[in-house]
Amino acid sequence: MKSGITKRIFMALAASSALFAAQPAFAQGDDEIVIGGSIPLTGVFAFAGVAIEAGIQDYLKIVNEEGGIDGRQVRLAYEDTGYQVDQSVAVFNKLTSQNPNIRLYYGDSTGFSRTINPELERRGDIMMAGASFATEINDPENFSNQFIAGPDYTEMYSILLEYIAQETPGAKLVFVNSDTEFGRDPIESSTARAQELGLEVVEQIITPPGAVDVSTEVLKLRRAQPDYTIFHGYVLAPLPEFMTQAKQLGLETKFMGTFWSMDSSLWADVGDAADGFMGVMPYRYYYDEEEAPMLERIRQMRPDYQATGYMQGFLTAMLMTESVKRTLEAGEELTADNMKKALNSIEDFDTGGIVGVPISVPGNTVPVGRIYQYDAAEQRMEAVSDWINVQE
Amino acid sequence: MRIATANETYLADEALLRTRTQWAWLGLFALVLVAAPFVLNNYWLYLACLVAINVASATGLNILTGYTGLVSLGQGAFMAVGAYTVAWLSQKTGMPFLVNILAGGLVAAFVGILVGIPSLRVKGLYLAIATIGASIILQFVFLNWSSVTGGARGLAVRPANFFGTSLTTYFQLYWAFVPITVLMVVGAANLFRTRIGRAFIAIRDRDISAEVLGIPLLRYKLMSFAVSSFYAGVAGGMWAYFFRAVGPESFTIVESIFFLAAIIVGGMGSILGGIVGATFMTLVPEILRFGVELASPYVSNAGALLSPIRTIAFGALIMLFLVFEPQGIAEIIQRVRRFFHLWPFKT
Repeated sequence: MKSGITKRIFMALAASSALFAAQPAFAQGDDEIVIGGSIPLTGVFAFAGVAIEAGIQDYLKIVNEEGGIDGRQVRLAYEDTGYQVDQSVAVFNKLTSQNPNIRLYYGDSTGFSRTINPELERRGDIMMAGASFATEINDPENFSNQFIAGPDYTEMYSILLEYIAQETPGAKLVFVNSDTEFGRDPIESSTARAQELGLEVVEQIITPPGAVDVSTEVLKLRRAQPDYTIFHGYVLAPLPEFMTQAKQLGLETKFMGTFWSMDSSLWADVGDAADGFMGVMPYRYYYDEEEAPMLERIRQMRPDYQATGYMQGFLTAMLMTESVKRTLEAGEELTADNMKKALNSIEDFDTGGIVGVPISVPGNTVPVGRIYQYDAAEQRMEAVSDWINVQE
Repeated sequence: MRIATANETYLADEALLRTRTQWAWLGLFALVLVAAPFVLNNYWLYLACLVAINVASATGLNILTGYTGLVSLGQGAFMAVGAYTVAWLSQKTGMPFLVNILAGGLVAAFVGILVGIPSLRVKGLYLAIATIGASIILQFVFLNWSSVTGGARGLAVRPANFFGTSLTTYFQLYWAFVPITVLMVVGAANLFRTRIGRAFIAIRDRDISAEVLGIPLLRYKLMSFAVSSFYAGVAGGMWAYFFRAVGPESFTIVESIFFLAAIIVGGMGSILGGIVGATFMTLVPEILRFGVELASPYVSNAGALLSPIRTIAFGALIMLFLVFEPQGIAEIIQRVRRFFHLWPFKT
């Protein structure tokens, strides 16, 4: 008897809460401009998603405090995706059904960018950017409604390779990539680019996803004796283990990485083994001391360190709103084509110091970056190069 | 036991639907399915299509695990085989989408037979591990057979084409997917009225006894793998037309766990269980989103703060259902049915 009542109460509670929760909520103004967002706030990429959301929100706050765009307020409507493509698509459909004013969208992954692309083409009213820097998206013909607020992964490698060619002409390189789509992205194109710059790729190491024991790979590194080892397709692990073992073996190689490995808070817990890690960064760091009025404003809004994902979200929102502004100024409708045309008209644009040089968006990317190096004593990334533009 | 339902023929006794009430409910359900695309917005249509795909795959796994007793964690990989087949066919041939989906199912069924061979020697958790091993091999093939699978980047899928019309909207895809799933579910329900289906159940209940009764274990276990993988392959084919991109990371071990969880939560060895389990696992995380939305006026930055709670709530709901009804949600539905069967008498 007792257990029956308990079951019924449980079922009633479950059913009623499901029904209650299923009531949709709508809240929007008629003339506001909405940026939709499939953002990972849980799952393996949550560390970036939380920072990206904060970056977008802060830039929109600045825009709205200054009167919005042409008097129209801009709002971010976003939901968690858990970094899963089916959920990202679900969020896209939910938000676009609830908010007819969505004209811009932030996506969370290469998988989502690729999956939603036919729908974006079909609709023709939304321009999208996102957390993916995949080379594939840098294709204005097939991904005509999308862009990347930074260099794609091949361009990131080009920035690294140009730096290496300047510092150590004829250097020997090893590429270490995770056996994932993310990891394999720039291998082929960057090997060719290295040859053009007179650099020699002496070994390519592919590690299984989630690899922890890297001793076999470190031995390959020992045999190859490279001047530089470039990691891609990882956030942090197994880079510290790689670097620790290589240092124990007395290897002189310099370790490098790409954007998602470049957050200094990630390396803070690694300690001395992280010292000297270098990589490409498309934006300034929160604590950079060079003159940057927008960074100053960010530091006033948020006194604590903001991760690299924050800067990515911030610049993405800046480019999105600038495109909308230019489209409205031209008296055109907010369609994906018009906004993309406005985006591509951005030339020598001052980001207020988020990027250290004026930027242009000639195609689907902002092909600029800079090499930073981690200083373990200061727990900071320090710039070791000037800004490098790899626009062809 | 239902009262006042005496049957006069064996045919009537074996029928799937035996009473007018059941026919009425089914008719109502069919009406809902037909009316749904005209009422639902894009978001709910997307979910309806996703539910249809997941129900097809979960029903397939239910045939293998729920009815034949062969535990598999390879359903995701079999779906991937179907999805890749459809993606490849859509790129290389101009065949109609129904033919491609059927081909996806058949290729997956063939792979399923190969993967099922260890089931003759191992069962239970050991078989589950063997199917994980097969998934790893298939994953390797997807990643490295670049000329066919597109390697790490995968394959783009052309829109499903139905007599010259491209099926690109969820409204159009709904009319393609739901009938296929309905057909597959009805097929599965009928399977267990046949000698083959009864042989599967006999193997599940006690394989040695089944063999003593004259059921060839080799043939029927592999047949079960083939049927289950066919379902997964067709579901994978629909998935490919739905998401229009297939890559090695599209179907991970997590997908297989998802389907196993779906049939356990829904009810193993019950067609209804596969349906409600897949629906539950697909829809509940989405419905919980509205909880976050409702809280947003009262909690600042609710999206960022409450999303992890949504994930925890989903996990907790699965656990609670398992604790309160280990036989699955289908059993709860049966209990409700029994209550009305005997009404106004007490159960």
